[in-house]
Amino acid sequence: MSRFVITTTLAAGLALGAVGSAQAEDIKQVYDFYCAQCHGVNGDGKGVNVTADFATDPRNFTVGAEMAKRTDEDIKGVIKDGGPSISKSPLMPPWGATLSAAQVDGLLGYIRKFAK
Amino acid sequence: MRLLAVTVSLGAALLVMASAPSYAAGGDAIFKKSCASCHYTDGPAKEKTISDQLAKKGPELWYAGSKFKKDWLVAWLQDPKPIRPMKYNSLTDPNKGDHPKQSAGDAAATADFLMCLTSPEVKAGAVKPAESAPAKAIFTKKMPCGGCHEYATKGEKHGGKSGPSLVGASKRLNPDWIYAYLANIKVFKPVRDMPDFASVLNPKDLENVAAYVATFE
Repeated sequence: MSRFVITTTLAAGLALGAVGSAQAEDIKQVYDFYCAQCHGVNGDGKGVNVTADFATDPRNFTVGAEMAKRTDEDIKGVIKDGGPSISKSPLMPPWGATLSAAQVDGLLGYIRKFAK
Repeated sequence: MRLLAVTVSLGAALLVMASAPSYAAGGDAIFKKSCASCHYTDGPAKEKTISDQLAKKGPELWYAGSKFKKDWLVAWLQDPKPIRPMKYNSLTDPNKGDHPKQSAGDAAATADFLMCLTSPEVKAGAVKPAESAPAKAIFTKKMPCGGCHEYATKGEKHGGKSGPSLVGASKRLNPDWIYAYLANIKVFKPVRDMPDFASVLNPKDLENVAAYVATFE
């Protein structure tokens, strides 16, 4: 009986793990597709669009001290409504009509993990 | 007698095959042979997920006749200079400019075919190229398109690299398509790395921006 419980628990745990990693991969894909063009795949603000003409520095998500100043609601708001919603650059455009609420939540978690 | 009949029939068949071109002269056949491995032409849009978009080797062309100007298309197919600074679907690899070239005859036939592929979303004659202060303010400041798209001022290029270049848009793009794209982007590209600006700008603003982009040299 105890072996059965252990086996079942282990199987359930593995299944959950698999779901968790699949979701993590999906959010990386979402981030890479929408955000990395300016914020960089590594979250350092060095995306391919950041040329000499780029009028601001995209947020560097790896700087923990700066990221700590932003609440989760700030970050979700700026993703959905763009930079001007928190008095920042309009070069951060509004993605609210493009991303689902679940994607925005996922991106918040993903972005937070860059902070050192 | 039977041998003679078979020989004559075979000879006639070979003659017919030899006199036929390697493919039909129609642009649709040329497209199918040379272009269809990277571009699809049967709309509406098929992409539902980011993976669907990333699996594409080149842009969808099912509304090419609404999007492009024919003269530009004929010239570009013969001398395909990069439109996107980056390789399609890549944020790391530059566009090597290795799109296949066509002969003048094939380019004309392919363009004829592509120009027949239109979208009912694009209303002909609705937008005329025009500069305006409101459009310039949106393009450069309010919703800075140059963050992702190259454009030129006095012959000098500016702007980001993730999107297709807007340098020379006046020659390449139909102003009516630019407006339709901005107004209803999901019809053309359900999955793309450009925001839906119709959610934050009114139709008149979108029309002004379309008219402005349509002036770009």
